[in-house]
Amino acid sequence: MTKTNTSERLLDVKGLTIEIETRNGPATIVDGIDLHVNKGETLGVVGESGCGKSLTMLSLMRLLPNKIRVTKGTAHFAGRDLQTMSNSELRKVRGGEVGFVFQDPMTSLNPVMRIGQQLAEPLIYHRGMNKAQARKRAGELLKLVGIPGAEDRLDAYPHELSGGMRQRVMIAIGLACNPQLLIADEPTTALDVTIQAQIVDLVKELRDRLGMSIVWITHDLALIAGLVDRVAVLYAGTVVEDAPVDDLFARPAHPYTQGLLASIPKLSDERASRLSSIGGTPPEPGRRPKGCPFAPRCPLAEAICHDKVPVLESLVSAGAHRVACFVAQRKLEAA
Amino acid sequence: MGAQPLMRIENLVKHFHVRLGAFGERAATVHALDDITFDILDGETLSLVGESGCGKSTTGFTLLNLHKATHGKVIYQGKNIVELDEKAMRPYRRQLQIVFQDPYSTLNPRMTIGEAVGEPILFHKLATKAELKDGIATLLADVGLPPRFASRYPHELSGGQRQRVAIARALACQPKFIVCDEAISALDVSVQAQIINLLLDLQQKYGLTYLFIAHDLAVVRHISDRVGVMYLGRLAELTSREELFDNPLHPYTKALLSAVPEADPAHERSRKRQVLQGDVPSPLSPPSGCRFHTRCPVAMDVCSKVVPEWREALPGHHVACHAVTEGISGTGGLPG
Amino acid sequence: MTVVPMATTDIKEEPPVSLWRDAWFRLRRNRLAVFGLGVVVLLAFTALFGPYLTPFDFLSQNLDARNMPPSLTHLFGTDDLGRDVFSRVIFGTRTAFLVAIVVTAIAVVIGVTLGALAGFFGGWLDRVVMWLTDMTMSIPNLLLVVVINASLKSPISSWMESRYLATLNPFYRETIWVDFLLVFGSMALISWPPYARLVRAQVLSIRSRPYITAAQALGLTNRIILMRYVVPNALGPLIVAVSAGLGTAMVLESAFSFLGVGVNPPTPSWGNMISDGLRVWQHYPHLLAAPAAVLGLASVAFSFLGDGLNDALNPRGAK
Ligand SMILES: Nc1ncnc2c1ncn2[C@@H]1O[C@H](COP(=O)(O)OP(=O)(O)OP(=O)(O)O)[C@@H](O)[C@H]1O
Ligand SMILES: Nc1ncnc2c1ncn2[C@@H]1O[C@H](COP(=O)(O)OP(=O)(O)O)[C@@H](O)[C@H]1O
Ligand code: SF4
Ligand code: SF4
Ligand SMILES: [Mg+2]
Ligand SMILES: [Mg+2]
Repeated sequence: MTKTNTSERLLDVKGLTIEIETRNGPATIVDGIDLHVNKGETLGVVGESGCGKSLTMLSLMRLLPNKIRVTKGTAHFAGRDLQTMSNSELRKVRGGEVGFVFQDPMTSLNPVMRIGQQLAEPLIYHRGMNKAQARKRAGELLKLVGIPGAEDRLDAYPHELSGGMRQRVMIAIGLACNPQLLIADEPTTALDVTIQAQIVDLVKELRDRLGMSIVWITHDLALIAGLVDRVAVLYAGTVVEDAPVDDLFARPAHPYTQGLLASIPKLSDERASRLSSIGGTPPEPGRRPKGCPFAPRCPLAEAICHDKVPVLESLVSAGAHRVACFVAQRKLEAA
Repeated sequence: MGAQPLMRIENLVKHFHVRLGAFGERAATVHALDDITFDILDGETLSLVGESGCGKSTTGFTLLNLHKATHGKVIYQGKNIVELDEKAMRPYRRQLQIVFQDPYSTLNPRMTIGEAVGEPILFHKLATKAELKDGIATLLADVGLPPRFASRYPHELSGGQRQRVAIARALACQPKFIVCDEAISALDVSVQAQIINLLLDLQQKYGLTYLFIAHDLAVVRHISDRVGVMYLGRLAELTSREELFDNPLHPYTKALLSAVPEADPAHERSRKRQVLQGDVPSPLSPPSGCRFHTRCPVAMDVCSKVVPEWREALPGHHVACHAVTEGISGTGGLPG
Repeated sequence: MTVVPMATTDIKEEPPVSLWRDAWFRLRRNRLAVFGLGVVVLLAFTALFGPYLTPFDFLSQNLDARNMPPSLTHLFGTDDLGRDVFSRVIFGTRTAFLVAIVVTAIAVVIGVTLGALAGFFGGWLDRVVMWLTDMTMSIPNLLLVVVINASLKSPISSWMESRYLATLNPFYRETIWVDFLLVFGSMALISWPPYARLVRAQVLSIRSRPYITAAQALGLTNRIILMRYVVPNALGPLIVAVSAGLGTAMVLESAFSFLGVGVNPPTPSWGNMISDGLRVWQHYPHLLAAPAAVLGLASVAFSFLGDGLNDALNPRGAK
């Protein structure tokens, strides 16, 4: 898992840059993101709200809203260029080879369509099934995601289901065509802890059974600790650290990751002791500082940090652990 | 921690009457809060946790008399404040404040930060017009904002900054008691820690009492003196935070604690969670007897018939569960 | 270790912007709205100062030059009494604005008051106001106005006449004010319900916003909450409605003049010019075309401006 070469990469994003039109001209929202997912691997993408997680994933499927464009970089899925492939080819990828699960199950399901039909649609379109076959498979999918009385639920409308059940339906739609890659954008953020635990366990089990790759986007580091193989930490539209999950939790290298981990309250803390926190707030898009985007909040910042942008680099000594920070890179080099 | 109760909540009930169906033809009752009883001690942080819709916010709103209680009492300074009308309530309003979850929608978009923070000062005559500017600057400094923010509008602030303004506004009233209704839930992880620290500092500085409503158990464990667990409009368990996290008695509390992820990959991978089956039932037609019996792994026959009594099972440890009651009568006491 | 120079564009710190400045910025980017605004400003200027700039007095007749087609001296030609149509259209602008502003102002005052009270307090007050609104809206507008005018106009005129004869006070000779009063009054009477409905709906939705609860939690009184929280936040949609309403009022006035219940000749109004022009349009089309075109322009300009304001004040996904 740690040794990667390009051939086994299922998804490979390089230098992806996304800009938005503003009144002051274009502003960079996503700034040269490097991400990859290997076959059978589960990648966690962690970052605070607004750091560009959702837009990155939407851009892969060319689903960006108006006024937001990819201006630089490449994205390959199974060796094929997602940016230049024809629309008909792209449609085969969307919902067929790549499944999506969105954050808000209420707004991403069509409220006026029975869930059975919504499940059947990709099956008819991508798999060329007839209606009866699609309905049968839809029932199986609902059973797969653990909805009790699955067959009877096919004729329900989304609003008749609870939040947890809707998210299960979303996952079922994402899985409908046996995708090679499932992209889940904060699939449990809108749910309660006990339901969240159900969904995490469900996805783990399905992954082991179906052997797909997963990109799980979240802002909750603890949530993905037991789920993913590797974690990419995003800050202000760039990947600042990318490491195998155990490495990341045990030896976070980037000051931002360190701060993030330190600000999670621990079991061992004294009651009401001060939490270590990161001062300030993330920069707004278009107001990114010159130099390292974390520099204004960074306790370790040096003169060079305000001037030059550190590049995400893997260091020989650190193996698959990559970090974009001058100070951390120097420390790793010395070690 | 002062042991004096600041507020006593006795058998508080809140029902919402709603109309269902496409034409509102069916009347129904939402049992948002059913018969809850507890004390809030002076100077403590009491947290309420539970799943969405279980009645945490309703508790906060009802005990501040922002929702009219259907039944029951909230005794504050010897008065049952839930039976007061708006006018009689006004002197208490100043002392009892609330900070909401979404700091954007709780600030008037047409008012500058200075106006928003200054308004309660002037209204409650806590300063003269001449002193106002200094008062605003002091409050903003208290919550860690520079004075120049006074002339900004809410939409020019980040989420964390807006939440600081909302806290400054509550502080402007010089309150004794603040309900924090999911006050940090909408904030970014790195900003949450800042606001928690701020709340802790202010508590120390002004001797505040908090009712802290949240669903993040890690945060609750960090800041609370005592924790109450709610399920579907009822209190399931209430005790000190050590007791709750080390020795949970109620089956629902145990399930809730087991669902909380830890930031430790090895531990998470090997951990066997006790995952609850099913969803929370609708508060429109809550289950009979113990409301948790439809999902409870140790439910007994009696559970679906008899409402378990809210009792002090161990000193300072309240719980409502038949299994706990029987366990105690069978063994003559649970290990502490 | 590689170091790359800063690649992203550096955007300089913006000064704080208020919501209104933000809206103004968005409005300026909307071409149709800017066009509408331009025309409205031009018309307003004409209404204010036009009569001092017109080449001819709008009443001066020149019977030698009747029904002349447009020329350099008479840009829009002359009418059947040899009056300069251009000057009359310009003076008509003043009438149109006067009618539109006064009518809309009265309608807005009635509508906002009733709507805000109904929305905020609800209960029986709400029911009474809504009943009144529905009643007014269900009566055919033109019918109502015609009835009011027909039944009140002659008694008032004869009463004024008798007062003049009794007192010799010249005030009572100015029947033009009676005209305006009746036109304004009856038009306002049919124009307020949409404002009441809009404001009530706004208040209902604002009343349930969290910041209202937050204000109540601070112990503020209903009056303060209504004045400082509810009304300012209901203002945006109201401004939009008023802008569109001004255009509607102009068209309405023309319709009334056309039916002979509006502003009476010789005071020029676009409506009575259109109605006069319509009788002879086959021979002298300019008599119809000039006022009709200006009325059309004004109405379109107001509605563009209204739409533009709507977009500017309702930024979808505002930051
Ligand atoms: N104004 C109201 N009218 C009708 N029902 C209401 C109203 N307010 C709350 N409820 C209902 O009362 C119950 C408790 O609501 P409450 O807002 O207290 O939940 P909560 O625990 O705070 O949940 P969340 O975490 O989602 O905020 C819910 O079922 C809710 O739908
Ligand atoms: N439709 C949109 N219009 C304007 N800005 C947007 C839009 N969608 C997202 N953004 C902005 O882009 C940035 C990144 O957004 P997003 O990818 O959704 O972040 P995340 O998923 O990490 O919360 C944010 O600053 C957000 O405000
Ligand atoms: S590059 Fe400099 S500013 Fe950026 S994270 Fe590293 S030490 Fe901090
Ligand atoms: S009373 Fe019964 S159903 Fe309720 S929690 Fe206790 S054991 Fe479970
Ligand atoms: Mg997102
Ligand atoms: Mg709530």
